[in-house]
Amino acid sequence: MKVYKCFKHALGMVLHSKLRSWLTIIGIVIGVAAVIAIVSIAGGAQASLESQLNGLGGDILTVTPGFSRGGNSFGGRDFGGGGGQATTKAVTLTRTDVQVLRGTPNVYLVDTEIRGNVKVSYLSKNGTVSVTGVDQKVWSQITTSTIKEGRFLDSADQNVIVIGGRLASTYFSKPVGINQVISIEGNSYRVVGILNDQSSSIYMPIDMAFQIIPNKEQNIFDTLIIKMKDQDLLNETMTDIENRLMNSRHVTAATQDFSISSNAQQQATRAAALSSVTAFLVALAAVSLIVGAVGVANTMFTSVLEKTKEIGIMKAIGAANKDILLIFLFNSALIGFVGGAIGIIIGGILSGILPSLIGGGTVPFARGGFTAIVSLNSMLMAIAVSVGVGVIAGIIPAYQASKLKPVDALRYE
Amino acid sequence: MSKNTNETILELKDVWKTYSMGEVDVTALKNITVEIKRGDFVAIIGASGSGKSTMMNLMGCLDVPTKGRIFLKSRDITSMSESELAALRGKTIGFIFQQYNLIPSLSAFENVLLPLEFLEHDDTNARARVTELLKTVGLSDKINNRPTQLSGGQQQRVSIARSLASNPEILLADEPTGALDSNTGKELLEMLTKLWKEQGKTIIMVTHDLNLAKYAHTTIELKDGEIIRKHQKSEGA
Repeated sequence: MKVYKCFKHALGMVLHSKLRSWLTIIGIVIGVAAVIAIVSIAGGAQASLESQLNGLGGDILTVTPGFSRGGNSFGGRDFGGGGGQATTKAVTLTRTDVQVLRGTPNVYLVDTEIRGNVKVSYLSKNGTVSVTGVDQKVWSQITTSTIKEGRFLDSADQNVIVIGGRLASTYFSKPVGINQVISIEGNSYRVVGILNDQSSSIYMPIDMAFQIIPNKEQNIFDTLIIKMKDQDLLNETMTDIENRLMNSRHVTAATQDFSISSNAQQQATRAAALSSVTAFLVALAAVSLIVGAVGVANTMFTSVLEKTKEIGIMKAIGAANKDILLIFLFNSALIGFVGGAIGIIIGGILSGILPSLIGGGTVPFARGGFTAIVSLNSMLMAIAVSVGVGVIAGIIPAYQASKLKPVDALRYE
Repeated sequence: MSKNTNETILELKDVWKTYSMGEVDVTALKNITVEIKRGDFVAIIGASGSGKSTMMNLMGCLDVPTKGRIFLKSRDITSMSESELAALRGKTIGFIFQQYNLIPSLSAFENVLLPLEFLEHDDTNARARVTELLKTVGLSDKINNRPTQLSGGQQQRVSIARSLASNPEILLADEPTGALDSNTGKELLEMLTKLWKEQGKTIIMVTHDLNLAKYAHTTIELKDGEIIRKHQKSEGA
């Protein structure tokens, strides 16, 4: 029998046992959808992470108070300027540290930042958001954020703020526009810029921030952000800064009370964390795909049993072993293919919905929102894998069917 | 009888068939030697358990003997591979079964087309032939019906059309009227007789019904796996 005729008969078999075929297909659908969704979401998170960190530039260093020993130090500002928890004594970053940094050869700019949560209200809608006080003279040159509307903070600015994209669009009952006034801790601030991101943050001149963020002391900073002149000298600069700060703060390597981190370190740490989480989830999804494969094998074995007599008839009227083998293999491959195709569609839909359900982009490892990326490669791979799963699961039943003796098969009831 | 010649089309030579039933071996056929001439109408008769179905399976290349040789058109089928046997069966032998054995998911047309698909016949010619065959058996208006939408007699006619699809030289009918009422059974036998007389087919029919055996030219009677009688009608009978 010609190969396409075998395919036609296999298709007929799938269509004539609709319910069982569909039940089997569902098994594959779940596996493939899970793999596609996880791979796409992880891909999107990875891309978002990379763009954020690449956006940060390799020329940015972050100094935070405190030093964690015996573990990874997450001293970066993206994690809230923490990192000081491991030291018992309250340590601070001060003007002196800023002066030391400014005196370091490869340091181009230093931004001083403090951060805290404040109460905000706009058109009688209240809330609590994170506010960051920045040195407005340098912030626009150091920040990785971009402006969607309006402008960054200016050195002469007083009582003005730049707000995150989400705070502007959906946080309050009505969108906040440029030049509109938001009340923060009872004081009024005019919005001069809206960032091109999905955050609910507020940025304001650091002098203003000292006045409104609770428990902040003038000239004590949460984070110092450094922009280097030459990012190729990253390691040398980090060592240089470390030595100079240790000298000025009168600490040794054993008593070090500050941390320096670079974008490159953060990228590596987060990428490693993301890929282990992804690998774990993909492994879980793969298990469901294997369960799906067992389902296909089960269906094929049942199908061979059920069709034993038909196989006998076909052999009696001239079917060769290879015809029977091909028909059953095509049958299981088709189940795999249809399962894979539907799985891709459902996985694609899940990839679209899940990131926003998880929390509007507050997914760990990928702040600021991201879109899952369903790549052509992953789709082709999913189809190939699901057809492969179908074929592998169908090989033994199909082989058994092809080897049935016509006389025994005809006698089967 | 039209083309009964002296040429042997099928020959069983010292054939034994033993089945293993657990620890007991049951011999279904004992030392059978028989020649079937081209163009003959042979009835194999015998009581239940006499070995006639076993003999039919061997003659149809559906099974191989435990001992002995079977020659189909002078070719020793006992030394053939499964694929060679399948091709030979498809081309040379048409089967008519007691329970019709149509594929339930296929229409009458598709059932008759199936042997031609296995033999990789040209599609257009195959379809034309199937249409013609279904017309011959009087089922032109039922070509799209599935077996469950046909009466027993109609299903058996589809089965006859299918057996003729590849224009085989031999038709093997296993209790062909077993599931039919007497009138329909009679019609079927007339159809087989017509095929024998007009188209020169070699017809081998297994039956326990002596009335049906009357239609045949040669009668072989089996008992306990042995041929106890072979009778041939005289020419012109």
